[in-house]
Amino acid sequence: MQFEKKYRVVLGMVLSFVIVLCGTAFAAQKVVHVWHTETNPLSRTAIANIVARFEALHPDIKVEAEALAWGDLEGKIMAGLAAGSPPEVSHGQPVTCAALQNKGLLLPLDELVNHIGEENIWDQIKKVGKFGDHYYGLVHAAGTSLLVYRKDLAKEKGIVEGPKTWEDFLDIAEALTTDDMYGVTIPGDNLFINILTGELTKANGGILFDDQNRPQFTGKSMMEMLDFWKELTKYMPPGWEAHGYLETFANMYGQKAAMMYQGYGRGASLIEQYAPEHMANTDYFDVWIKPHGPGGTKPAAQVDEEPWMLFKGSRNPQEAIEFLKFFYEDDNYLEYIQTVPIHFFPITKSLRRNKDYLETPMIKKWKGWLDVQQYYLENDLVKPTLIIDWKDLAEKPYLMEILGSGILKDMVMEVTKEDVALEKATARAQKRAEELLERGGYAKW
Amino acid sequence: MKISSQKTGIMLIMPSVFVICALLVYPVSYGIWLSFFRKHSFFPEQNFVGLANYVYLLKDPDFWMSLRYGTIYSFSTISLQIIIGIIAALILHESFRGRNFVRGIVLFPYMIPTVVAILLWKWLLNSEFGLINYFLRTIGIAKEPISWIGKDHIMTSLILISVWEFFPFVVLSVLGRLQTIPPDLYEAAKVDGAGAFSRFIHITLPQLRNVLFVVILLRSIWMFTKFDTVWLLTQGGGAEKYIRTLPVYAYMRTFMYYQAGLGSTLAVIMFGILIAFAAIYFKMFRREEGI
Repeated sequence: MQFEKKYRVVLGMVLSFVIVLCGTAFAAQKVVHVWHTETNPLSRTAIANIVARFEALHPDIKVEAEALAWGDLEGKIMAGLAAGSPPEVSHGQPVTCAALQNKGLLLPLDELVNHIGEENIWDQIKKVGKFGDHYYGLVHAAGTSLLVYRKDLAKEKGIVEGPKTWEDFLDIAEALTTDDMYGVTIPGDNLFINILTGELTKANGGILFDDQNRPQFTGKSMMEMLDFWKELTKYMPPGWEAHGYLETFANMYGQKAAMMYQGYGRGASLIEQYAPEHMANTDYFDVWIKPHGPGGTKPAAQVDEEPWMLFKGSRNPQEAIEFLKFFYEDDNYLEYIQTVPIHFFPITKSLRRNKDYLETPMIKKWKGWLDVQQYYLENDLVKPTLIIDWKDLAEKPYLMEILGSGILKDMVMEVTKEDVALEKATARAQKRAEELLERGGYAKW
Repeated sequence: MKISSQKTGIMLIMPSVFVICALLVYPVSYGIWLSFFRKHSFFPEQNFVGLANYVYLLKDPDFWMSLRYGTIYSFSTISLQIIIGIIAALILHESFRGRNFVRGIVLFPYMIPTVVAILLWKWLLNSEFGLINYFLRTIGIAKEPISWIGKDHIMTSLILISVWEFFPFVVLSVLGRLQTIPPDLYEAAKVDGAGAFSRFIHITLPQLRNVLFVVILLRSIWMFTKFDTVWLLTQGGGAEKYIRTLPVYAYMRTFMYYQAGLGSTLAVIMFGILIAFAAIYFKMFRREEGI
């Protein structure tokens, strides 16, 4: 009898536990998965703070934010899509956004854009995620590539004006090259070579693909671009092809190189952290507007601006939109922007005018770096990686494959490191790219 | 009801058969099946193309370059691992003070995670700020910074790093066998007037034969399919083009070109090469052993 009583008590406890568990499960929060590429501790903390404040306002929603290295992100998105379990929102390269939109895998973000106010967003930013009449991507922040140079060394050589043309740039690189100092440093990894190829092609008035999607790698513009690159290597560290982006910045603040063609605002933080204290300012490290090639008339730069994308097939897209609305509210957005203030150019005009934003110490100190970025953005001189014309985003969804394939990098390596003739290297790259596009069903020629 | 011993046996092996099918037969078969398709890596787009992927690769200069790099890499690393591994094992088999400590230290490269090892090596080998170049320039061996992971030296650097990382496996295997060789054999040889070299050739090496047979087979398979060390060395800067071995090329085709069909074809070709190698290797050496 006593055993039975004990048994009933235990059974009652177990049942209560099960009921509580089931209750919790039924009342479970809606989970919003957010993948982003800002892995630095400050940005992660800012996002965690924003998430905490959002969850406090929306107890029925749980936001799981995950920071991923940019190199891992695209693969993870694709794997999530293939498995039928994409996140609600994620950052991605503009070309990825274009490719996924083309496949019908994204949901529109019009509600978010209307909430922020379309007029309040920089025109350049709007071009990244707008396809037809709808927004399928909205940039989290923009940072343009910058030509960083050692102002003190340039002054010593009597160079006060920045280069207007590639020829000027080569002259300056030569003048700044000494026994202890390379004239210029450029990253040799695949992403940055693709970035630079697109940027230089644009600055030389060329295109990478025509309207039939046929690669234009054997054209005059590409030849001139490769020739310029080859000339540049005379003033670069001999093992430049092994240098990643961070190493090129190390070359700058470590006083091994006088100019960096592919710098970004993020580097100002690295300079503050690692350069001698008296040198960590714009009297020593400043930026010039980039030069143009013989076939071009205007400078061109690349813009690092991953858009947020909202995935079709995700479980809680509406809740994700609510989170993004909250993210872009001035206070929250400012906290995020201030984590990398010289690289995160705000997408809203209102925040750029915001007093708290303008009073940010780093923004005051490195103002020249931001002014050049604003000049690029206002004059439509910047494009995402491999984008020459804005219509490329919608019409050339294969750029993601071109970027990953390393075809452009191999071509640059062959010309600059293997002394392969321009005609031969470009013809090989042309053939490889044509095959890639034919296999992918993109060839219209 | 009595179950026959035959049925019991079948029931007992069923879990193993299931695991082997799920983890081995299915993935390999799926990989082979994929190689006959033109398939996007992530989107549900695929067309049957028969042997077209194989024909394409046989005409692809990048495939042949990858095969060449892969062969150079695996042949060099295996040879060096075996030579250095045997020498190290022979030394560690001798009695000396601190032997146990040194035996522990030798295993160190094999124990640390590859990603940590490669990050360390990349900084040591950095052309501008690396310790190795600093040392070489300080003692006057190098006048200019050497670009260890640039075009001209990246294969050498990769081979040396890989040998450093994996030779302890050979040391462990050989040392284990050395400790079981009966000392009588050496004593008898000494009585017969055999010197150290002669004892090594006529006693040690024949005794190590079986171990070396397995070690060479395993290391050949592992080095030919090695991906992580090669890939990590070129991430975030590195002359990847010059060490693009077959596994790296297969990865690129699958996850960067998004061509799962061609990626699988490369994997199947690698599989075929290894089977052919193993068959020839067994035929040549196992028969000699009479085992």
